[in-house]
Amino acid sequence: MGFDLAFALSSVPIILGAVGTTLFVALVSCIGAAATGFLFEMVRRVGGIAGLLIGFVIDFIRSTPVLAWLYFLYFVLPFYGIRLGSMTVGVMGLSLYYSGYLAEVFKAGIDAIPRGQSEAARALSLSRRDAVIHVIAPQMLRNIAAPLGNYFVSILKATPYLAVLAVPEMLGQAFDIASETYRYTEPLVVAGIIFLVLALAISHGVKRLERRLLEGGAR
Amino acid sequence: MTMTPPMECWSTKIHEKSGEGMSTQSNTIVDIQGLNKWFGALHVLKNVDLTVASGTRVVVCGPSGSGKSTLIRCINGLETYQQGTLRLAGTMLGHNARETAAARRQTGMVFQSFNLFPHLTVLSNCTLALRRVAGRSRAEAEDIAMAHLEKVRIPEKAKSYPGQLSGGQQQRVAIARALCLNPRIMLFDEPTSALDPEMIKEVLDVMVTLARDGMTMVCVTHEMGFAREVADQVVFMDGGCILDSASSRDFFGSAGHPRSRLFLEKILKH
Repeated sequence: MGFDLAFALSSVPIILGAVGTTLFVALVSCIGAAATGFLFEMVRRVGGIAGLLIGFVIDFIRSTPVLAWLYFLYFVLPFYGIRLGSMTVGVMGLSLYYSGYLAEVFKAGIDAIPRGQSEAARALSLSRRDAVIHVIAPQMLRNIAAPLGNYFVSILKATPYLAVLAVPEMLGQAFDIASETYRYTEPLVVAGIIFLVLALAISHGVKRLERRLLEGGAR
Repeated sequence: MTMTPPMECWSTKIHEKSGEGMSTQSNTIVDIQGLNKWFGALHVLKNVDLTVASGTRVVVCGPSGSGKSTLIRCINGLETYQQGTLRLAGTMLGHNARETAAARRQTGMVFQSFNLFPHLTVLSNCTLALRRVAGRSRAEAEDIAMAHLEKVRIPEKAKSYPGQLSGGQQQRVAIARALCLNPRIMLFDEPTSALDPEMIKEVLDVMVTLARDGMTMVCVTHEMGFAREVADQVVFMDGGCILDSASSRDFFGSAGHPRSRLFLEKILKH
């Protein structure tokens, strides 16, 4: 079975039509995962019972399959009266799952900042909040730009999981074409190429961001 | 003010400033009595007494591990203590977080490793606390910061990042940054120990100018030339104790404590 270029091209518009959904899910999940992960790490850092609890939650999340989270949110929560749309569940599931990983990335990024930085912030009477926003977070970001970018690419590549919830994302659309026509090669190759282009674009963007963050030399 | 003499460690102090107990409350900015601190089982400060009057310069010296850095870090509440009292600008530190924070605003601190914020320009390093803590507008903050950068003779580097400066330049910026909040007392924790020899002078010159302008200073340093030049009082620490506390003339004179004489001989020999 050869590669039918004309058929491949004809599938492009349909698959491209789902790019918006894929990008939307990936973008919102990245923001959700980063925000949740950062919050987790901040609570864990403060310590106490809440910190221990969040530490356990982070470990638990990282030890379970992302599909389990999607199924749980979509099929189990309705029994408790919480009925969410498939798109909402998809974004929530990816955000939650990756927040556990990103919390670890943030931890590494903060641990790498010399202790003198937060001491200087305290000596200057900055509030804890201002110290995090103006001193810790920007330096954390420059420490972790590369792994953060990797996880953003991972989140993009995890969007096809949402096919199990019938979210019309890209790979699902490609597979629909394949099922209808019994031609698998072309739609899957097209979807693969589009994923490749998107992933490369994200990597490139992250590299540029990293260069900008490192402006003025490391230290 | 208490009139009781400071508690002794395991050795007698030879010098006691006779007028020290007479200083009035309003004139005393730091008042430490019977301070004890442990790091776990390690007893790092043992019954330390120290008063610093406004407008005076105190130099703290001693071998490494003697507790001098810990002591200066207690003064602005970076370190906590377990026993004794520490009053900063009349506030007892360590009892109420808000009061401790308010008292800390009276201090500026300069660290051995500069601790400038590497992601911010020199100017932003100086304006951050002015804007976030003192509530100044950007324009006001930049005016104040530039005035202090001029005082430390480095205004031309305002737009540079710390990583682009030499160690001596970075430390001068750190001094300017600490001065921006208009502190009543400046704390220096070995400000020249991380510097190449040829950069030490430019930092000490700035500190001497500051001292001449009447700034109250507590300075942990091994720069005995600086101590001789500006210090009103020299404190010698060893093993967590203050062994000697004297006017700089007495300290560098012949009547010093045997342990501090030994220390001076060692570090002044070369």
